[in-house]
Amino acid sequence: MSVLYALAAERQLEAAAAEAKAAQTAHQVLPTEDEALMSSRGEHAVENSTPVALAAHEDARSLIRLIQSEIVAKQMSVAVDTTTLVQEQVRWDECVSGEPVADKACSQTLPGGRLVATYALAAKGDLYRESEVRYEVSGDAQKALDVSILHEVLEATQSQVECQVCYGLMLDPVTTFCGHTLCRKCLTRTLDHSLHCPVCRRGLGLPPSLIGQPSNKTLVDLLNALCPDAVALRFAAAREEEAGGPGELNTPLFVCSLGFPNMPVFLRIFEPRYRLMLRRSLESNREFGMLMYNRYGEPQGDLGSVHFYQYGTMLHIDNHQLLADGTSLIESRGAYRFRVRAHGIHDGYAVGNVERLDDVPTTEEERLEASETSGPPVPDWDVVGQLDRMSTQALLDLGRSFIERMRGRSANWLQQRVLDIHGQPPTDPALFPFWFASVLPISDEEKYKLLPTRTVRARLKIIAGWIRRIESQRCATSQLPPRARVTMRPEAEIEGEGETEDETDAEEVEFTPTSSART
Amino acid sequence: MSAPLPKRIIKETERLQSEPVPGISAIPHEENVRYFDVKVEGPGGSCYEGGVFDLELFLPDDYPMCPPRIRFLTRIYHPNIDRLGRICLDVLKNNWSPALQIRTILLSIQALLGAPNPEDPLNEAVAKQWKENQAEAIKTAREWTQQYAMKK
Ligand SMILES: [Zn+2]
Ligand SMILES: [Zn+2]
Repeated sequence: MSVLYALAAERQLEAAAAEAKAAQTAHQVLPTEDEALMSSRGEHAVENSTPVALAAHEDARSLIRLIQSEIVAKQMSVAVDTTTLVQEQVRWDECVSGEPVADKACSQTLPGGRLVATYALAAKGDLYRESEVRYEVSGDAQKALDVSILHEVLEATQSQVECQVCYGLMLDPVTTFCGHTLCRKCLTRTLDHSLHCPVCRRGLGLPPSLIGQPSNKTLVDLLNALCPDAVALRFAAAREEEAGGPGELNTPLFVCSLGFPNMPVFLRIFEPRYRLMLRRSLESNREFGMLMYNRYGEPQGDLGSVHFYQYGTMLHIDNHQLLADGTSLIESRGAYRFRVRAHGIHDGYAVGNVERLDDVPTTEEERLEASETSGPPVPDWDVVGQLDRMSTQALLDLGRSFIERMRGRSANWLQQRVLDIHGQPPTDPALFPFWFASVLPISDEEKYKLLPTRTVRARLKIIAGWIRRIESQRCATSQLPPRARVTMRPEAEIEGEGETEDETDAEEVEFTPTSSART
Repeated sequence: MSAPLPKRIIKETERLQSEPVPGISAIPHEENVRYFDVKVEGPGGSCYEGGVFDLELFLPDDYPMCPPRIRFLTRIYHPNIDRLGRICLDVLKNNWSPALQIRTILLSIQALLGAPNPEDPLNEAVAKQWKENQAEAIKTAREWTQQYAMKK
């Protein structure tokens, strides 16, 4: 293999320092991968005979063959007067071992530059794999020859190292049992959709997300040596691709249901596109934005009529469990609220540019409380006015005492398991409404009203409104709408946006002429 | 706002232009390069010979993880193609693999024209005719090709 290291090193032919190293590694591996050279003096036993290793080996082998044919072709055309003296060196450890080495070393003058000459020597079987070599280069012609061979080899190998899924240079390649090699990320994404090899359709039998699956080390080394620049470029491009959609659309968005700051959200992720989103999130800051599905198509400010509500909650993934079937269970918690400024689609899932939404500063909140509570008394029928006159603490107490009363009546939405999940009612008035909304069995559209609020008082007044309505209905506590239970289930099984893709039943063909039409 | 075009789509498009498949063309729209105007020539020796069929092809956001969406625009009498131009082809559904490409899909469609399969019909009426009176079905297919797929 290290002919490739040599090739790579040869790129810096101008740098004198590189020469010694290149010479050192130039021929070590030239013969080893080559069937035709199996007879040369080195040991060529295939060290590893597992199918994967063989497959991985095979993969590199075809590349080596290609390189060989390039070199051989060059060898044929080399003028006889361009020669290099190749001299085998005695290695220090061979000296220490005390073996007679004198007759092993050989020195020959061969046509070509270092690459071709070394190749020829190895091909004749006159070179130990482990040997070190010294060169006596006769001039610039040889250097030029090396450079041009390197160039041709790189050209020839390009198509061999292209991934069949992304059409890019194989990035961190993984080889399947059936002997097919793809970028790790490409194979992982393929696994999200199918358990079969994309190339030959054989069952893959690989762990989901390829956890613990080794890379094709041979190929990785080879690429790193052969074209380090291209590998680096590919890495950078992949990172950019991971980062998100176009421009500033760098926040992954999960259009699903409601979440609130500081409150836990449990999700099961099984749609392929969201598996990809989840992996990327886990690899970056473990966050993604959760938005509620806009089932009634209500207009969302500047965004117009989009399929989600514009205010959402950033979730932070605390725990993640990948199941054998490739689906994932995640435990997340609301970090902060945000508003979607712009959005798009990236690899099938929504991405957006979001603006964090925080409450007004405490001083502003206090000023608001002072001004609202200091107004003239309001008549009993003015419910809104009544709430304005209440201090923030009194509004909080109203909510907390409601919870106490409901507990006294053993409301089933306040069962122990609900409290185990959401915790006890917070004493912080800023957070209490979020907790309250998380446990209360009312519609998500109603609860959503908390998300755009900028003041603690606004939120407390919203929940005070809910309480008043609930209390005005007589047996509100015992009769829960069935959908409310979904909110309280520890693990809501949520499948994306509730869209169904049923093509066969549709009378008209659904065809999206422009991908931007949706956005 | 749409995401930047994956390298794969760019390369596929380039290769479709630089190494075209005989009898098939696929040209991306200028304003939306995920949307292609496709022309497929009826295979020689088939009842679609001489016809040039228009199709539309769209690469969804998660292409190549999901297959391209494709349908005939030109009317065609074929047991595996319905009146809306939808195509019953395994590689466009469950047998899709990201290692397939626009080129291979279009070749499969061309092959489907050469080998209608009434046993796995999308268009029941056509399939029935194909099974009960193949000569008549082929005649109709030829007539339709003449009528709809031969412009000028
Ligand atoms: Zn790839
Ligand atoms: Zn395979």
